[in-house]
Amino acid sequence: MAIKLEKVVQKFYDSLEEGKILGRKCPACGAVEFPPVYACNTCGNLETEWVEISGKGVMKSIVMPAALSSKPEYDALGARNFAYGEVELAEGACLNAVVKGINKKKRKEIMEKDLLPVPVHAEIFQRDGYKTVVFVLDEE
Amino acid sequence: MNQTHPGRYSRSVSIIGVGCTPFMYTVDNPETNGLTEGELFGYAALKAMEDAGITAKDVDFYFHGEASPLNGSNYLTPNSQIANWFGMKGKASIHHSEACCTGYLAIEQAVNAVASGKYNCVLSGCVEFGDSTPAPADNIETKKHPYKRDKMTMERFLATTQWLYDRNYARSFMAPMELIYDDAAEDYVRTRGISAQDMDDTLNWMAINNRRNAAKNPLALERKEFAEIAKEAGFDDVMAYMRSPYNPRMGDFLRAECIERKCDGAAACIVCATDLIPQIAKNLKHKPVEVLGIGCSCMEATNPHFEIRATEEAIRQVYEVTGVKPEEIDLFFANDFIITSHLIAAEIAGYLPYGEGWKYICAGRTAYDGDKPINTNGGRTSFGHAHAASGMADVYEACMQMRGECGERQVKKLPKTTLLRGYGGSQNVAAVMLRIAD
Repeated sequence: MAIKLEKVVQKFYDSLEEGKILGRKCPACGAVEFPPVYACNTCGNLETEWVEISGKGVMKSIVMPAALSSKPEYDALGARNFAYGEVELAEGACLNAVVKGINKKKRKEIMEKDLLPVPVHAEIFQRDGYKTVVFVLDEE
Repeated sequence: MNQTHPGRYSRSVSIIGVGCTPFMYTVDNPETNGLTEGELFGYAALKAMEDAGITAKDVDFYFHGEASPLNGSNYLTPNSQIANWFGMKGKASIHHSEACCTGYLAIEQAVNAVASGKYNCVLSGCVEFGDSTPAPADNIETKKHPYKRDKMTMERFLATTQWLYDRNYARSFMAPMELIYDDAAEDYVRTRGISAQDMDDTLNWMAINNRRNAAKNPLALERKEFAEIAKEAGFDDVMAYMRSPYNPRMGDFLRAECIERKCDGAAACIVCATDLIPQIAKNLKHKPVEVLGIGCSCMEATNPHFEIRATEEAIRQVYEVTGVKPEEIDLFFANDFIITSHLIAAEIAGYLPYGEGWKYICAGRTAYDGDKPINTNGGRTSFGHAHAASGMADVYEACMQMRGECGERQVKKLPKTTLLRGYGGSQNVAAVMLRIAD
């Protein structure tokens, strides 16, 4: 490999249009960067290479949207049926993400039964003008 | 997570002068409506020089901090436009912006410039019009009036806050922008095992304590205590008021009084090579405050628990580089535009014991007259939040407290060592350790 001036962001979004979710894997230490960037934040290696993400992961924290943290365009996620939180991918990368399929009642159940982390899977979601990545709570 | 191990400064640097404007809604008051950037910054800068007993001739360089100069001032190079206002025509300067962390990193910049040996005496100031924009406030491209300003609506302010977040992924993924509000509260409840009701009370007590401090601070924006506000609304119990629709739930945990009061203001300080103070500041009338060290970190908002992780790293650095122990901290500040910051930063710093900090807050022990004072100026919810200037206003308050010059809100035990946790800009974090000279 060589360090390349590369359109990583465009390729990420183009791939979503094709139904693929891409990250970047470090050839030196194996860590996966998601969302994809040039270098490895785990070992500092200067290069990473494209890898398709399995989409499997777990949600480790749950925050419900409220007046401060909602926007009208989020209604498309499903009214009162999504949350925000930390998601750890099966590949190891962690990010702040939307998780669909969680309402206040579900959150209460998860917290009262001490079920965190809960399994989730990635979904390609159509926003206004482009596709993005959200997650969905796995069916029990 | 990446770590840095900063070295000690090449020479000691001290704060010898501080200045601060009142934090205010300039447009709402005929006496302040029409004030400009040069006037606010210039006032703070000149007050800092006066406090240090020097003039602009003694200052080698200045740093200018403003979070959003294009939106708030219609400037791209704000430092160039205002140097004449405080006697520094022709002297070099630089502008920097780290959003709400600007005022804390303003100290970092100034101290580095002096510690390196390049300059001996530096001014560092910050200004922000968080509540108004140059008129007309339609968009940034239209021609602006020389001094008139229009109120910045909350709708317009919130539209501009997206500029704080990565355009490639964070805005697209939605959650990174929204977790700034409630992530810290959720994390605290889950990891410390307290109830949602206890967290609600803790958030309300932080707002009450901040207001108690601000009530005794003539520079603060909001000075009416919640106990009095509650009484006027027909509540005998202040907590009943804070839990009522008068203080509506705005987030998963946060209520309205747990959020910053955006406003206008400026603050500045003069830093000087400690060994040159007798030569440069011959008329200094008070003890200098040494900057022992500053820890810094930065985590973009796609990263989970970005405030917590970056604070842990900055705090680790400042303890490592200064050798100070948590039990030596007499006074603590946290940039609490989301008030939960005040709790979690104090625990990460070891100023309050892990998992017990909420009890200290609910017992009033973190107000100015308690044994663990935090944000004695009133914090962002009551002193106000003039974004870039807020951190420097905290430095002003820290120095004044350590000098014993805070009058009615002077803390009980004269502080020797103060730690300030700066935060902002999705998300820069700084941990600034100050100690007054013996």
